[in-house]
Amino acid sequence: MSSSINTACTTRKSRIGSEQWCRVLQADVRGDVRQSVRRRGALAFAICAVFLAGMLYAQDTDLRAPSAAVAGTPASIGTTGGGSATFYLVGPSIAIERAVQLGQDIPLTAKELESAGKYIAIVCAGNCRSVGFFVAPAKPVSLAFLVHPSRAPVGESNVVSGVALPFDEFHNLVLTPTSVDFQLTAAGAAPVSHRASTQNGAAWFRTSSGRSAGNLQITASINGVSTRRVVQQVASDPCRLQIKGQRNAKGFVVETEPVRDCTGNPVPDGTIVTFTARDAQGTDTVDAPVKKGIARAQMEGTGPVTISAASGVVMGNELHLGAQ
Amino acid sequence: MRENTSKTLRGIRSSRVLKAIAFAVAGFALLTPKYSVGADSAPRVVLNTSKAGPRAMESQTETVLLRDYKFAWANLEQALESNSTAPINGLFVGTANAWLTNAVTTQRSSGIRSRYLNQNHKVEAVFYAPEGDLIELHDTADYDLQILDGDKTIHDEHVIVHYVVLMNPGSDRWVIRQIQAVPQF
Repeated sequence: MSSSINTACTTRKSRIGSEQWCRVLQADVRGDVRQSVRRRGALAFAICAVFLAGMLYAQDTDLRAPSAAVAGTPASIGTTGGGSATFYLVGPSIAIERAVQLGQDIPLTAKELESAGKYIAIVCAGNCRSVGFFVAPAKPVSLAFLVHPSRAPVGESNVVSGVALPFDEFHNLVLTPTSVDFQLTAAGAAPVSHRASTQNGAAWFRTSSGRSAGNLQITASINGVSTRRVVQQVASDPCRLQIKGQRNAKGFVVETEPVRDCTGNPVPDGTIVTFTARDAQGTDTVDAPVKKGIARAQMEGTGPVTISAASGVVMGNELHLGAQ
Repeated sequence: MRENTSKTLRGIRSSRVLKAIAFAVAGFALLTPKYSVGADSAPRVVLNTSKAGPRAMESQTETVLLRDYKFAWANLEQALESNSTAPINGLFVGTANAWLTNAVTTQRSSGIRSRYLNQNHKVEAVFYAPEGDLIELHDTADYDLQILDGDKTIHDEHVIVHYVVLMNPGSDRWVIRQIQAVPQF
């Protein structure tokens, strides 16, 4: 700047030859510069003031999260400050954006808070402020109840098991410990009850199957809510086989006595019994399914024959038939 | 004299430029592997099954579970960043699928995106059902959560979140049925 003044001064001085005019000009220019500097300073100060005011205004905005929000229950976010702002809510199954007025509570509807979990509320007015909060599950209204197996042989230990998980109406897993009552009912036996407390949201049991074939009804109950499952208890493997036979025109026919498991339950139809006949010609084998408790087979042969039967790991008696 | 000086100066300048290029190349070469590690956004998952019960976890199950859980989080990250429901469909079922689908669709309609960066998961199996058809995991996850409205970052925070996760065996994988953040275990 001073170099340009000096250049102008030198040019004018050479033109009009006056030192005084040059001093006046320099003084004027210096005055302008000072004024310009003052103006710029004032402008910078104003910008800083506005920026700081904005920052202070934005920092004044404070958010208060709901203290104990519950799924499906309306809540609100408290705000301070003033003016309009943009509000965001980001949760496990939701992301919304809407305009709000600072200084007023921001209402959150029941629908917006259905999913339990962590939510983040963000308010942006110039800069953004946020607050996180948790939504807890509501009361349990349903039970997920897993029972295995669907068919269980009778008289087996620890073969039936079940797991119950309580859920609220919005499908949130209820994690607060709650007692679950398991009741097992089978025909011809006294009901058996078992109580277990949920741990990390799950309660479970394991039990042996009963001694009689038939349906085993298992009910899990929690706070008046119950879920029922049925396990079909079926006869176990055949316990002993007794066979009888006689000659006929085609050869001989053999059949079992009613086939039962070790607790006296008739084995299911379709259970395979293998008959083996040995005579002078060799060995002949026939697989016959149980029908109405009895397995029967027609075999050929005219000479003396020895017949045996087997089902699973059980062998029956040997039967000797003489020549025809 | 002046020519010599300018030649010397040019020589000094060119040697400085060469040095600068050499430093830049060396720096790039040194930093590239680190950058690659940093850019590898695959979630890091550590699984502990020692407390799982009442059923003990088979080692093969543990391997598959770890693989699928890690993959599920990578898919979750991808879905919420790209606002696409396609990555959710493979490994999230039931409530978890419904929630995430809803999160993605509402994000899309609001112009919001979420980024889950630098994920670390310390996962503990706390319940393994007697018949092996349900596993409950407790996951202490830490990651950088960024929420963006368009291209503007409206939230950027390193968070530690506790998740309760229910997983079921699918036909060839373990799938997430429930994923629920809790204040603490």
